[in-house]
Amino acid sequence: MNTQRIGAIFEKDLKDFMKNMMLLTMPIIPIILALIYSRLGGDEGLPISMLYLIVGVTFSSVTSSCMMTMMAEENEKKTLRGLMLSPASFMDIIVGKSLVVGLMTFIALAISLLLVGMKPFLNVQAIIGLILLFLFFLFLGIGIGLFTKSVASTSAYLMPVMFLFGFTPMIDFLGLGEDSIAITVAELFPLMQLIIMHETNSWVPIGIVAIWTIAAAAFTYICFKKERTDD
Amino acid sequence: MENAIKVTELRKVFDHHVAIEDISFSVKPGEIFGLLGPSGSGKTTTIKILTGELGQTAGDVNVLDISAPLFRTADFKSKIGILSDNSTLYERLTVYDNLKLFCKLYDAPLEQIDVMLDQVNLKEARSKVVSKLSKGMKQRVLLAKALIHKPDLVFLDEPTSALDPGNMAHIHRGLQKLNDAGTTIFITTHDMEEATELCDRVAFLDNGKIQELGSPAELRYKYSTHAFHIETFENERLVMANEAGSADKIRDLIANGKLKSIQSDHPTLGQVFLKITGKELA
Ligand SMILES: Nc1ncnc2c1ncn2[C@@H]1O[C@H](COP(=O)(O)OP(=O)(O)OP(=O)(O)O)[C@@H](O)[C@H]1O
Ligand SMILES: [Mg+2]
Repeated sequence: MNTQRIGAIFEKDLKDFMKNMMLLTMPIIPIILALIYSRLGGDEGLPISMLYLIVGVTFSSVTSSCMMTMMAEENEKKTLRGLMLSPASFMDIIVGKSLVVGLMTFIALAISLLLVGMKPFLNVQAIIGLILLFLFFLFLGIGIGLFTKSVASTSAYLMPVMFLFGFTPMIDFLGLGEDSIAITVAELFPLMQLIIMHETNSWVPIGIVAIWTIAAAAFTYICFKKERTDD
Repeated sequence: MENAIKVTELRKVFDHHVAIEDISFSVKPGEIFGLLGPSGSGKTTTIKILTGELGQTAGDVNVLDISAPLFRTADFKSKIGILSDNSTLYERLTVYDNLKLFCKLYDAPLEQIDVMLDQVNLKEARSKVVSKLSKGMKQRVLLAKALIHKPDLVFLDEPTSALDPGNMAHIHRGLQKLNDAGTTIFITTHDMEEATELCDRVAFLDNGKIQELGSPAELRYKYSTHAFHIETFENERLVMANEAGSADKIRDLIANGKLKSIQSDHPTLGQVFLKITGKELA
């Protein structure tokens, strides 16, 4: 890895992001959702599950989605080839892009949470949880971005990521029984674990989210090996 | 360094299809070397192997005293410049921002951007967004990108295919100047006139094999019939061999005031290629 090259990629991708209407609308989605929810909250603020729904929407529609879109576009427009022929390593490219996505996620999340209530997130445990969750969504985005060859095809992969991992708290509205299998499984999903963490103050959910993050990292690594070794 | 590029018995097979069949050649430092051949003959494949983008099936490849397994290192990549086929730019960014990216990736000073824009005749397009440029303009930006870090060796895969004659001549002068300053140039083209004008030596590639290799002048001489083509004022066309017996006949034609024109057979590189492969180059 080389910081100057990472910086060059970061600068390029940031400029490109600011000129790409499709990417620019992504961070607006959670902010609009937060605006609507903030009207519903009343005096006691929103329930934790609603707050985490906004977190989930931010991470899926900004972190995962922007990452895979940016990578798919480099593939589709064949600009990735130019980068790979330069001294930049694949790691430099990924890290440079991740920094742009990280910045955009941070801005979108900060504005959204300011609108609906930042307070529940202002402790070490919650912040560690958010960072792990961010990395989980980032790895998913990178992994999918590695094998999608066009921007158009990313939406097919984004949908399951959004509905499974971004909107998990919505499962409560599906009217399933308390002890249905779907709910039991969903409870293990990273977003639900963080909600449980708030209710119990236990560190176990953090451990489970960490396992999800490691699994996502492994998924990215497998995609990388598959994509980068076939000449 | 004896050779800038040395290729020995290089072979590349794409699932059962032999794209490059045991070719060998070397390029001297400071040379302009042209790889010529019809579409699908293996030019791009050869460049991809020489620049580390593809691995070879068999044979040895050595570039700037570095051998193939190390082609993927940053050190190697910063020594060479590449204008690949189907190269692209970031369409939403300006010409300047595109070049700035590669300046930084190659650790070249930012002043190089304007130097290069001048060299490819694009100073006025500096702040233009790439999507607004014509194909030929984009091609020139790509050329600037390939040369921005002043590499010792550049690979140009059909660099002038999208250019009009004026800009082509401008680029040729630029490449010549670059070469005078010591840069080794490896170029592929369909354009035989370009190769004749630019290259010190050329290799004819057909069906993955090198059919002939030499300087354009050498090859044109080698494949000449050496005959004289004569036209008289009586509109007679004669072909005479380059031998003692022809001398008297030609002298008589001149003496009798009948000789309208006389030319020695001097095939163009394109005609030489046609003779060797039976194929016209588009
Ligand atoms: N990745 C690949 N997989 C399979 N076959 C390939 C691949 N790349 C090239 N080939 C084949 O190898 C042969 C040589 O292709 P190459 O691109 O090197 O030709 P070229 O001389 O550059 O042609 P052109 O002048 O059209 O650019 C062709 O038959 C092509 O179909
Ligand atoms: Mg080609």
